[in-house]
Parts: sequence; structure tokens; C-alpha cells
Amino acid sequence: MGQDDAPPQVRHRLADRLYHWSMAASVIALGATAFLPMVGLRFDWVPIHWIAGVVLVAAVLFHLWRVFGVHGLRAMNPGPDDAREVLRRAAGRPLDGLAPAKYDALQKGMHLAAALAVLAASGTGLVMLAKIDTTFWRRNPAILADQTWGVIYVVHGAAAMALLFLVLVHVYFALIPGHRAYLRAMLTGRGPELARKAQE
Amino acid sequence: MRFLTYNQDAFGRNMLVGINWEGWLWLPVAAAAAVIVLHLAQALVRRGRR
Repeated sequence: MGQDDAPPQVRHRLADRLYHWSMAASVIALGATAFLPMVGLRFDWVPIHWIAGVVLVAAVLFHLWRVFGVHGLRAMNPGPDDAREVLRRAAGRPLDGLAPAKYDALQKGMHLAAALAVLAASGTGLVMLAKIDTTFWRRNPAILADQTWGVIYVVHGAAAMALLFLVLVHVYFALIPGHRAYLRAMLTGRGPELARKAQE
Repeated sequence: MRFLTYNQDAFGRNMLVGINWEGWLWLPVAAAAAVIVLHLAQALVRRGRR
């Protein structure tokens, strides 16, 4: 049974879809302001970058409230059947007997990787706000030693590189025909209830 | 090629400042391209078997 055969359920509520697209817009703005100057496109990127970063942090806090206050962790937590799914997919074996799940192993893996990268980038990014002058505060780089700033920059940069990879892969999988139902679900709310169905 | 970049402080000590972007920005893009190409190849092979 294909994922489009069953009548579409509500897979993502409006609040969660709005969160996803806000996060997408801010991550794209952050990535563009971070990487385009590196490849030669010169512009005043810092204000756009830190404001998009603050938007991202606000979106993440909203998402954490939705997770802990509304959805719970269970649907997205990796478990033993997810490890089995990865191994069976790698071996080309069927997925019989695995527990049905709203998100399959690869979706959970993508979420976990993106969550870690976003938390690392936004955590270090919040610290780096101390290094800029804004309407609300004056810069004060003396809060950390120079060597510590170096570590902050490396963690921020490594997280940004990981996010660049994840965003490119995520956009590819969002656009392929086999996953169209998931893209439609993130736009309209209605889509497959389960990404990993009970196999008969 | 070094992954990290260093400056020298006023005392001549190496000071970590960040990632060597000029040398390594290609890495996440190439890794994503590899994943995409592998997935497309796998889909083509599966379609050929049907």
C-alpha cells in the first residue's frame, strides 16, 4: 500500500507548520549571510545574520514548548526498531515486524542531527552577540578570553558546516516525487499518518 | 591543509580564531552531492530491475 492510498490525516498542525517554515526561512537567511560573503558576494551581512539568529532561537524555544507541552518526545525518539530499519535498508531486506511510526529512522536521524547542529550554532551564536554593537547593548568581547573565543568560533563554524550539508540533503529529499506527500503535509497539514507502516 | 586557522597574539603565541573556510567550505557541499548522487543511482538501479 503506497503512502498516498489512505485518506490524508492531519500530520502537522498549523502551529508546527508555521514553526517549520519560520525556522527554514531563518536558517536560509543565516546560511546565505554566512557563506555568500565567503564566496565573494560582499554586503553588510552581520545585522541580517544576528537578527535571523535571534528569530531562529525564538522559533526553537517555541518548538521546545510544543514538544514538551503538546506532542511529547515519543514520536521523534530513536529506538531499537529504528536501528533495525537502518540495518535492513542498508542490506536491502524487508521491514517486516518493525513497529509502525509517524517518523521513520531516516527522518528521526535527520531531526536529531539538525537539532544538535542548530543547538550548537545558536548557543555559540548567542554568546557571540556580546561581540557586536546593537540598539539594545554595546559590544563587550572581554566576557571571554581570546582562546575561548576561538573555540566558540570553531564550534559555531563546524555546526554551520553540518547544517549546510543537512539543509542541502533535506531539500533534495523534500523535493523528490517519492516524498511528495511529506512536502504536501508540511504545506497543508494533511498527509500520511505513519512514515513506517506495519508491514504484512 | 589545516582545518583550523590561527593568529599570533602580542606574545607570539598561536591563538585559535576559527575554521579555515577557504580550504574546507567545499566539504559539506561535496558530501551532500555525494549523498544525492548515491540516492539517485540507487533509484535508477531499482527502476532498472523492475
